[in-house]
Amino acid sequence: MRFTIYQESRVGQRSNNQDRIAHCYSRDALLLVVADGMGGHQHGELAAHVAVQHIALAFQREARPMLADPSLFLSRALTNAHHAILDHTLDRGLAEAPRTTIVACVIQHGAAFWAHAGDSRLYLLRRGHMVTRTRDHSRTQMLVDQGLLRPEDAQHHPGRNRVYSCLGGTHQPQVEHSPRTPLCDGDIIALCSDGVWGPVGDDRLVTGLTNGPLGQAAPQLMDQAEHIAGPSADNLSMVAMCWHDENNLGPATVDAISTRTMEMDMFSTRLGSGSASNGGADLDEDEIERAIREINETIRKFDQN
Amino acid sequence: MPPQANCALPQGFQLDQYRIERQLSLGGFSIVYLAYDTEGTPVAIKEYLPNSLALRKEGETEPQVPEEHRAAFRYGMKCFFEEGRALAKLMHPNVVRVLNFFRANGTVYMVMQFERGRTLHEYIQKHRGEIKEGMLRAVFARMLNGLREVHSHKLLHLDIKPSNIYLRTDGTPVLLDFGAARQTLLTDQPVLKPMYTPGYAAPEQYEKGAQLGPWTDIYSVGASLYACVTGSAPPRADERTQHDTLQPLVRTHAGRYQNQLLELIDWTLLLDPLKRPQSVYALQKALVHRQRGADRPEKWFSDLGSRLKSFIARN
Repeated sequence: MRFTIYQESRVGQRSNNQDRIAHCYSRDALLLVVADGMGGHQHGELAAHVAVQHIALAFQREARPMLADPSLFLSRALTNAHHAILDHTLDRGLAEAPRTTIVACVIQHGAAFWAHAGDSRLYLLRRGHMVTRTRDHSRTQMLVDQGLLRPEDAQHHPGRNRVYSCLGGTHQPQVEHSPRTPLCDGDIIALCSDGVWGPVGDDRLVTGLTNGPLGQAAPQLMDQAEHIAGPSADNLSMVAMCWHDENNLGPATVDAISTRTMEMDMFSTRLGSGSASNGGADLDEDEIERAIREINETIRKFDQN
Repeated sequence: MPPQANCALPQGFQLDQYRIERQLSLGGFSIVYLAYDTEGTPVAIKEYLPNSLALRKEGETEPQVPEEHRAAFRYGMKCFFEEGRALAKLMHPNVVRVLNFFRANGTVYMVMQFERGRTLHEYIQKHRGEIKEGMLRAVFARMLNGLREVHSHKLLHLDIKPSNIYLRTDGTPVLLDFGAARQTLLTDQPVLKPMYTPGYAAPEQYEKGAQLGPWTDIYSVGASLYACVTGSAPPRADERTQHDTLQPLVRTHAGRYQNQLLELIDWTLLLDPLKRPQSVYALQKALVHRQRGADRPEKWFSDLGSRLKSFIARN
């Protein structure tokens, strides 16, 4: 597999970041996840954290180096993540189960599979156009579907943040699955929280993301969303991936990751949560965890030799 | 104000899956413990605990890191991870083996294989100026096997000195403490300047932006050999570049060791990196190459103790 990834999560104008994001890949499979912990409820970030971690770990357990069935994996991983949140609620003695939206995508054998609950979205872009995107599990989307609300008004509708499906909480999540979707060279898959798509909308999101290499276009789009939202900017998170044909070694793919030389049982994982504004030399929690995991993976690998 | 000393974790302390037995050493950046795992196997555990940035008081387990030092503490942790990364890749009988890496008490721990024996430094202290040539050659030739392995992974040790060369009870050496180790390809990245040990560090380690390479570790190997012969480290390299007071060993110690060995040590201690042996292999070859006949001092035969014999027997 060859692909380029951009992943970032920003706190926006909120006091804390309740979004959690991750990507993880083995030699033959790639996972992308975004979770937006729900702020109206207690411990939204806990729900998002548990969900992302749970799904990433499940991927590492099962993608060795390929998932037997990506759709089945997503279905099981999301349901189990929901139950993991409920378990945490009990363990910590919380009065009510925290909630999070979820959108997760698996790419394997050149095709994408995704699943979501809530209003974090997945966009599939091809040659500057939107091929498809997920439909939000929100009150406003329901009204639009029923013809009671014009799509252009949905953005300002007071019910736009009312989500009827999520992980955690008191109800069983209604997870929506995509069909198997083959990818073409240059396709972009972007997963993002409403802090990104909300302020910019579909059109600006599509033009923004296809405007130059992903490593520049994605952060610029996030800048734009943050700027438009101004003082009301929510947490903004995005995991965007540009798919490259294995044989396309053109200049556009210099930053690309190739998994061809990876060991069968090796994983690369990046979890992200904190604001990227204090990047630089400082280590964040996730980087510490990652460094320790990598060192231990190396130790185990050499132990077996 | 000198930083207060950190308190070691107490005996019997349950650290993850290990039980602390006692403190083995205390350095500026870390404490090393002897501990036992769940099966009772002894291990050495190195705890990241920079004296100047974190303080653990008597009876506490979690060190306190003042707000203003938090970034530096995390940065130092990055260097500690580098050491772990470096060692995790190395699997060699003459290089200390890392077994595990974990997080606890607000800091990080590296678990290493516990080796019985003593450091070459301790050995030099005890046998000052009386170390036999055969022992010297045997120990260093094997230690260099480990160093070759290090270099073949594009790593430099950068802190080779007698206290980082451990002699197991069977006499075989183990290279320890990769706290200063660094990926050669990453030398242009900013790094927390490691504490080089004066006398053993090469002149280029004192210079900013100087090219470090295998020749840098080779200087330190030479300085360690020098210490074995004379009983103390050579003068500091930064002082040598100003005013060189180092007397060649061929002049000061002729007759007590083969000239070929003394010349070899003098060669490794040249200030100009390009004039030193350029690879560990070249040095190792010269070290195992023993001149025969007239050059060999008569005394060498009579001095052969049982210890030396056992070394040769293992060769």
